[in-house]
Amino acid sequence: MYSLGIQKLLDSAEISIGGRILVKAKGKVYEGLLMPRPDIGDSNCIVLKLDNGYNIGIRIDRGSAIEKSGHKEPKTVKEEEEFELGKIKKSLLKVSFDPEKPPIAMISTGGTVASRVDYQTGGVSAMMDPKEFLHNVPELFNIVNIKNFSKPFTKMSEDMDSSDWIALAKLVAKELNSDNKGVIITHGTDTLHYTAAALSFMLPNLLKPVIIMGSQKSSDRPSSDAVMNLICSSHAAVSDIAEVAVCMHGNMNDDYCLLMRGTKVRKMHTVRRDAFRPINDLPLAKVWPSGKLEIVNKSYRKRSDQKIKADAVFEEKVAIVKAYPGSEPSILEYLQAKGYRGFVVEGLGLGHVPTDSRKSWIEIIKKLVKDGIPVVVTSQTIYGRINPNTYTNLRRLYHYARAIPGEDMLTEVAYVKLGHVLAKTKDMDEIRRLMLTNMAGEITPRTVPDAFLY
Amino acid sequence: MEDLDYKKLGMKCGLEIHVQLSTKNKLFCSCLSRLVKEDNDRLLRIQRRLRTVAGELGEIDTAAIHESEKGKTFEYVSYPEESCLVELDEEIIHDVSPAALSAALQIARLLNCEIPDEIHFMRKLVIDGSNISGFQRTAIVGMNGFIDTDFGRVRIANVSLEEDSAQIVSRLGNKDVYGLDRLGMPLVEIGTEADIHSPEQARQAAEKIGGLLKLTGKVHSHLGAIRQDLNVSISGGARSEIKGVQSLSLIPKVIEEEVKRQLALVLAGKNVHKDVRRALPDGSTEFLRPLPGAARLYPETDHVPVAVTEEMLTEAKKTMKKATAEELSERCKISLELARQIINENKAVLFESLSENYDPSIVANILTSYLKEMKSEKIAVEKLTEERLKEFFSALNGRQPAKETMLRMLRELAMTALPAEKIASSIETLPDSDIRKIVEKIIKSNKDAIEKYNAANIIMGLVMKEVKGKAQGNKVMKIIQEEIKKTS
Repeated sequence: MYSLGIQKLLDSAEISIGGRILVKAKGKVYEGLLMPRPDIGDSNCIVLKLDNGYNIGIRIDRGSAIEKSGHKEPKTVKEEEEFELGKIKKSLLKVSFDPEKPPIAMISTGGTVASRVDYQTGGVSAMMDPKEFLHNVPELFNIVNIKNFSKPFTKMSEDMDSSDWIALAKLVAKELNSDNKGVIITHGTDTLHYTAAALSFMLPNLLKPVIIMGSQKSSDRPSSDAVMNLICSSHAAVSDIAEVAVCMHGNMNDDYCLLMRGTKVRKMHTVRRDAFRPINDLPLAKVWPSGKLEIVNKSYRKRSDQKIKADAVFEEKVAIVKAYPGSEPSILEYLQAKGYRGFVVEGLGLGHVPTDSRKSWIEIIKKLVKDGIPVVVTSQTIYGRINPNTYTNLRRLYHYARAIPGEDMLTEVAYVKLGHVLAKTKDMDEIRRLMLTNMAGEITPRTVPDAFLY
Repeated sequence: MEDLDYKKLGMKCGLEIHVQLSTKNKLFCSCLSRLVKEDNDRLLRIQRRLRTVAGELGEIDTAAIHESEKGKTFEYVSYPEESCLVELDEEIIHDVSPAALSAALQIARLLNCEIPDEIHFMRKLVIDGSNISGFQRTAIVGMNGFIDTDFGRVRIANVSLEEDSAQIVSRLGNKDVYGLDRLGMPLVEIGTEADIHSPEQARQAAEKIGGLLKLTGKVHSHLGAIRQDLNVSISGGARSEIKGVQSLSLIPKVIEEEVKRQLALVLAGKNVHKDVRRALPDGSTEFLRPLPGAARLYPETDHVPVAVTEEMLTEAKKTMKKATAEELSERCKISLELARQIINENKAVLFESLSENYDPSIVANILTSYLKEMKSEKIAVEKLTEERLKEFFSALNGRQPAKETMLRMLRELAMTALPAEKIASSIETLPDSDIRKIVEKIIKSNKDAIEKYNAANIIMGLVMKEVKGKAQGNKVMKIIQEEIKKTS
């Protein structure tokens, strides 16, 4: 956004964004196209696209002037400008699929995969018509027939919450109860694994693949990981693996994707293409863009054609609280007073919380459980299983205070599961039983050595 | 062949000069900015593909490129200290290197450019694999500048700061292998307008620009660090872009050959195509590919616009030393030849800084010849930082050892971690009584000459020859004057 002063100058000269202008400043004259002002930086600086395609910033002071220019810009510059301003050729938005290919549904929710640069803010934001992106991946037309294309909302994933999971679960169930072979959900990566977990619990008895994919590099970059992730997701969506699964790069190469169980996957890096890793479990499969699919983990549900029903419920008053040296347990009491009904405590190591220290968590947790508020403990180590017995302090937490040991569940998954369970029952014994029962692959009975740092 | 009348032929030529900045780190990350020669199996290798995005290129370009990129895999070799997740196109670029930006602004200033109030980095689409991300980052740091040649003014269209591309290692069938060491090294591109109308003017303009670049002391001087491209056309011909003209002296020849080539086509009534051509060592050129349309540029949204502050401009001015060899020779009292050598070897700034503490002619000799001698002995002369040399020279306190002694001390300075002061003090110093003996002896044996001429200077020369740097000049002179007094 330009400053009010500049906006006034522009308005009085009847100049709008994209217009060709002359800027007179410090005795010099610059000519080019007026570009939108990124939100960051000096709002008194005009951003000018020169005829060589470069942008520069010219500060407007007293004595500067902005005028319309009568000249015409070179064709290439015009095309660049149109692209920057998000004007997409209509021809690029038409895509038609081969009806002979297996039908699938695609649900676009936003995020980097459906993003391109937003020159108004100067950052990347979700504004791309998903069809524009499909146009860049002609390989898809040979794999699937995207019959139904829906866009229930467009959000960066950090802005999503449980109401979005519920909407998605219902939409997915609807799509799967038609003749679709599977569903692909495009999603922002930051909370992609939360959604994957939520859909895993909300779509019990799933019988077709639900593939969630995203990208770490926006799809308007020639090197975007979105292309391969989407091609592999299409293969996965028509495969026999009837699971909620995340499909993202397996390593830094554009080689193959990993298909990872929705309850056993986590974003482990801020930027790398291979940020999503299976945790405490092997990936379900490796998928190559060629269509080759190699099963890694044999324990998956097989495809079948029956109808499913979404169990899309969630109790929002659940919180994750982290225990660390010097942490304040009374934060739990504060949240209780705010109406919170369940907690996931991300504990230390085997599942410890400060016990004999000045700020012991034990008595507060004991009281919460007595008040009917479940406390599930997971570990900050991310990898490994909680143990309720080995140390005296563990026994005090799990046997005396009655916290629920979260087994080998990820903190994020335990949070989603507890919210889902609390929406179904208030009975503490039933909550405990469900939290300790494997519902959607979130608890594994045995951990193979290869599952560490896969 | 008779001389060509370039004016009559309507010859137009513009230069495009690329120079690597000699900053320690890369443009957008903290990797070491240097080339790596080794290649072994332990190095990390990454396979990637690139794809253009509909709408970013014109429709025809897109179609052609989609065809060419089909099935193409690029392999990138990553080096331990010269590439990180940024070069691997995983991590987002860091803020632009202040040292590189400052050097680029300085160059823009030296070329009389206007500097924008805000610098906007752009992505220039490059999908031949040489840029792992599919684009090169580049920003205009100066425009509308000029340099003057004997044949008239040559306008500088723009000066841009950009990242160098990855270097091709090998092409194996459908797989191109690139090294990531060069990717992201800071590069300054200088483009002139097509104001050049004769081959000699082109040579002079390139020489002038090259000289100014070297003067900053912030550009690499090794072979290939400055790359010169020429844009040449004649009336009725077409613009050809000639890449990789290796030396200044070759420029006139390349232009002459290109003008002849275009002229022959025009005279034969044939069309001259817009080409990209490669300069060959004999001055002729060969066809590389048709001249592509202008590369597409889009804002680099991973970097915020950089406001050019007063401090940055002052800094660029302060370090700006607009000296020519003549000025340097006169100011520092060194021979013109030495001054030229210093500027050509890109050592002007270092030279002037060291000369503050020591005799400029000796500093000049050390920089232009002693260091080379040491380098040939495989001594790590890069250990001789400006700081260490300065300490050493000020510790010498004017004493001028003989060449052998100086070389010994410089070797110690480079090969050991001993304090500079300690090394300087290892210079052998004659006791005053010994100096006096030498002075007396020389006065005695040259009595006749001394009576006739300005005595002190003659004796000084003779004594210094004998003491071989084991005494400070001012002390010797003092003793000489005392002794002359005694004899007269």
